[in-house]
Amino acid sequence: MVQYNFKKITVVPPGKDFIDIILSRTQRQTPTVVHKGYAISRIRQFYMRKVRYSQQNFYEKLSTIIDEFPRLDDVHPFYGDLLHVLYNKDHYKLALGQINTARNIIAKISKDYLRLLKYGDSLYRCKCLKVAALGRMCTVIKRISPSLAYLEQIRQHMARLPSIDPNTRTLLICGYPNVGKSSFMNKITRADVDVQPYAFTTKSLFVGHADYKYLRYQVIDTPGILDRPFEDRNIIEMCSITALAHLRAAVLFFLDISGSCGYSIAQQAALFHSIKSLFMNKPLVIVCNKTDLQPLEKLSEEDMKLVMEMKAEAMKTIAQGGEPNEEGVLLTMSTLTEEGVMSVKNAACERLLDQRVEVKMKSKKINDCLNRFHVALPKPRDSKERPPCIPQAVLEARADAAAAKEKKKLERKLEKDLENENGGAGVYSASLKKHYMLANDEWKEDILPEILDGHNVADFLDPDILQRCEELEREEGLRLEEEVAQEAFQIDGHELTEEQREILGQIRKKKALIIQEHRMKKRTAESRPIVPRKFDKDRKFTTNRMGRQLSSMGIDPNAAVDRARSRGRKRERSLSRAGNDGDDMDIDSQQPNKKLRALSRPRSRSKSRPPEEVVPGEGFRDSDQKKKAIKKAKDSVKKRNKEARLNQYDCLIDITGSRKERVKKSLSIQS
Amino acid sequence: MRLEKCWFCSSTVYPGHGIQFVRNDAKVFRFCRSKCHKNFKMKRNPRKVKWTKAYRCLHGKDMTQDSTFEFERKRNRPERYDRNVTEQTLKAIPLITKIRHERQKKHITNRQKQGKTKERERDAKELEQDIQMLPKKDAILSTQKTKVVVKVSQQQTEENLMEE
Repeated sequence: MVQYNFKKITVVPPGKDFIDIILSRTQRQTPTVVHKGYAISRIRQFYMRKVRYSQQNFYEKLSTIIDEFPRLDDVHPFYGDLLHVLYNKDHYKLALGQINTARNIIAKISKDYLRLLKYGDSLYRCKCLKVAALGRMCTVIKRISPSLAYLEQIRQHMARLPSIDPNTRTLLICGYPNVGKSSFMNKITRADVDVQPYAFTTKSLFVGHADYKYLRYQVIDTPGILDRPFEDRNIIEMCSITALAHLRAAVLFFLDISGSCGYSIAQQAALFHSIKSLFMNKPLVIVCNKTDLQPLEKLSEEDMKLVMEMKAEAMKTIAQGGEPNEEGVLLTMSTLTEEGVMSVKNAACERLLDQRVEVKMKSKKINDCLNRFHVALPKPRDSKERPPCIPQAVLEARADAAAAKEKKKLERKLEKDLENENGGAGVYSASLKKHYMLANDEWKEDILPEILDGHNVADFLDPDILQRCEELEREEGLRLEEEVAQEAFQIDGHELTEEQREILGQIRKKKALIIQEHRMKKRTAESRPIVPRKFDKDRKFTTNRMGRQLSSMGIDPNAAVDRARSRGRKRERSLSRAGNDGDDMDIDSQQPNKKLRALSRPRSRSKSRPPEEVVPGEGFRDSDQKKKAIKKAKDSVKKRNKEARLNQYDCLIDITGSRKERVKKSLSIQS
Repeated sequence: MRLEKCWFCSSTVYPGHGIQFVRNDAKVFRFCRSKCHKNFKMKRNPRKVKWTKAYRCLHGKDMTQDSTFEFERKRNRPERYDRNVTEQTLKAIPLITKIRHERQKKHITNRQKQGKTKERERDAKELEQDIQMLPKKDAILSTQKTKVVVKVSQQQTEENLMEE
C-alpha cells in the first residue's frame, strides 16, 4: 500500500511557475527558427509541433499530480479517515477533480488548434494560432492555480505525517489530556515527544518503536480526548478517534488517579464509557498513572468503584482463548519514578501478541504452515528429578573469588579516591613522578633543566663527564702554552714604518690618477663625441676648417691645429724621454676635453729600431724583402683605412633619397 | 623539549620558531625562519650558499674537527636521572662551550694571518719597485742617507763611522 509514499509525491508548482516551466521547455526543446520564405507545410509543421509539445507536457505534469496523490478510497481506511479528518475529503476530491478537468480542457484546446493550423496559409496566421492555443492553455492553468496551491499545502503536510503501518503490532495510548501518555511514550521508546504541563501539548499522532520478545511494536501516542459528543470534536481529537477506530492495536487507556491533570476520575470514567465502543476486539489495558502522587489503594470509595467498573469492561475484552488474567488488565505505574512502566509495556505487548496469534490460528492461512511447526520435547524416562550437577569445589571457588573481589575493592585505594580527597578534579593534580625508580628516592621531585645556553642538556649527559672535562682542560692549557710560544717566535720585522706607509700612499694615489686618466682618454662614443663617418662622407671636418673657424672666433688656432695634426705625424725617434717632459702626463687633466683630436698622442717615441732592419726571428732574407713585405701589407690596408673601415667586412651603407636630404639638413644646422 | 638545528643554516631553532617539513619518505626538515625555508623550496644547496654553516665548514672557514664536539652527542636512549651526574654536567657545559669558542676564534685568526703576511709582502714589493714613479724630491726614505755636513774631529769621525 502507499503508506510510505506520501513522502515521495512530486512538488506541485504554483500556477505561474507551472506555466513558466512548460513554456520555457517548449521554447528550448522545439526548433526556434522559421522564416516566411519556407514552404507552407514546413511552417505549419513547425507551429503544430509547438502546440502539440506544450499540450503533451501539460498533460504529463497534470497526470503525475493526479496519480501521485492518494485516492482516499483506495488507501487503507485508517489513512483515508485520517486524511479526511485533516484535509476534508470533499475539498481534496474537488481539487483533484479540477486538475483532471483542466487536463481534459487542454487536450481539447490543442486538438482544435491543431486542426485549424492544418489550414493556416501564412506564417503570420499560423503564428497567431499557436499564440492563441498556448494562451488558452495557460489561462486554464491560471484558473486552477488556487487548487494547485491547496494541493501543494496538502502534500507538504502529508509528507510530515508519521509513517504508521496499520497492519503491524501496535500499541495505542489514549486518555484525557495531561495524564502522562507522552511521558510514557518517551520512557518505552526512543521518541522524543514534547511533555509540557498544559493540555493539548501533543497535537497529532506520534509514532515510536519498542521491542518485546524480539519483536518490534509500534507505539502510537495520541492527543488527549475530551468527553464531548462526537459532532463537537475538533480535528486534533478526531485524529485520535480515527486511530482508535481503524488500527487493530492494543489500547492502553490512561487514568490519572491523582487528579493533577485537572480532571477527576469521574470525568475520565465518563470518557471511557463513551468511547468503549471503539475498544471492541482490542486487548484493553487500563493504566493508572501518577501513583507517586496518589497510590491506588488510598483512593476514595466512589473512585474505586468507578475504576472497578472500568476494569470489568476491560475484562470483557480479554481474548477468549486466554485465561482470565486479572493482573493484565488493571495496572499501576508512575512515569516520574519509572515504577511499573516496563511491566505495563510487557503486559500490553503480551496481550496483543496473544490476540494476534489467536486470530492467526483461527484463520485458514495457518493450516498451511501449521504442519511445519514441531516442538520436540524429550519424553521423560521416569519421574526422577535430575537437576544440574555442579561440583562442590567449583561452588566454593566461585564463592571465594567473589569474596576476594569484594575485599580487594574495599582495601585498595584508587587514585580517584586520592583525587577526591584532595579537592576534586580541578584542584588536585596527580604527581606523575610518584612511581619513578631512581637510585635515591630524594631525587624524585627534582626539576631537571632541559636547555642551557642554547644547548640541550640531554646531549651532554655522561657519567664520566667530569673526567673528560679535566682532560680537556689539560689539553687546553697545553695548547695555550704552545700558542704563546709560537707568537713569540714570529716576531714581525716586516712591518712598515710611518714614513714608508706615507710614501706607499702617495704611490698608490698616483697610480690611481693614471688609471683615471687612461679611462677618460679611452675612446668611447658617449664620452668622446666623434663626428661619425656617415655625417662626414665629404670630409669636411679638416684641421684647416677648424683653424679658420677658431680664427673667426678670435682664438689663435696654431696649438690646436698642431695637436690635431700630430696624430698623423711621422714618428719622432728619440731614445730618451728627457725632452718630453712638457708633453708628459698631465696630472691636472681636469679641463674638459673638448677638442679631443688635439689631445691625440703621437706614437711612442721610445721605438728606436728602423722598420727595414731585419730582426733575426722574423724570417726575412734581407731588408729589401722586408721592405716589400711591409709595402704589400700597407697597400692591402690603405684603401680600407681611407674609407675608415675597421676590417674587410666592415662596409659603408649608402643612404639614398630623402634620408640623405635630412642628413644634409642636420649637417647644415651643425655648420 | 629540544633545541633543534636548522637544516639549511644550522642555527638553533628554539621552541615556537620556524617550520618543520616532513617529506613523504619521512625525513624531517627543520627550518629556523622563512628565509631558510624559502631557500630550501628553491632547491638551493646549502653547501653553496655563502652564509650557511655548511658552506663555511666545507670551505674551511670555521672549525670542523675538534674534541669539544665529542661532548655534545645526541643520545637516542634516555638515561636514568642521576642528580650528581646532572650537576656535574650542568657545571661542565659552560666550560666546554667556552673552550670551544676560544678554539674557533683561534682558527679564524690563523686563517686570516696568512692574508696579512701576503699583504705585507705585497706592500713591501710595491714600495721598492714603484717608488720610482714619484718625483725624486718626494721619495726620500729614512733608509736613504742624507748628506749632513759635520765638522770633523777625530772623535766625531769615529762616532760617525760607528753609526754607519
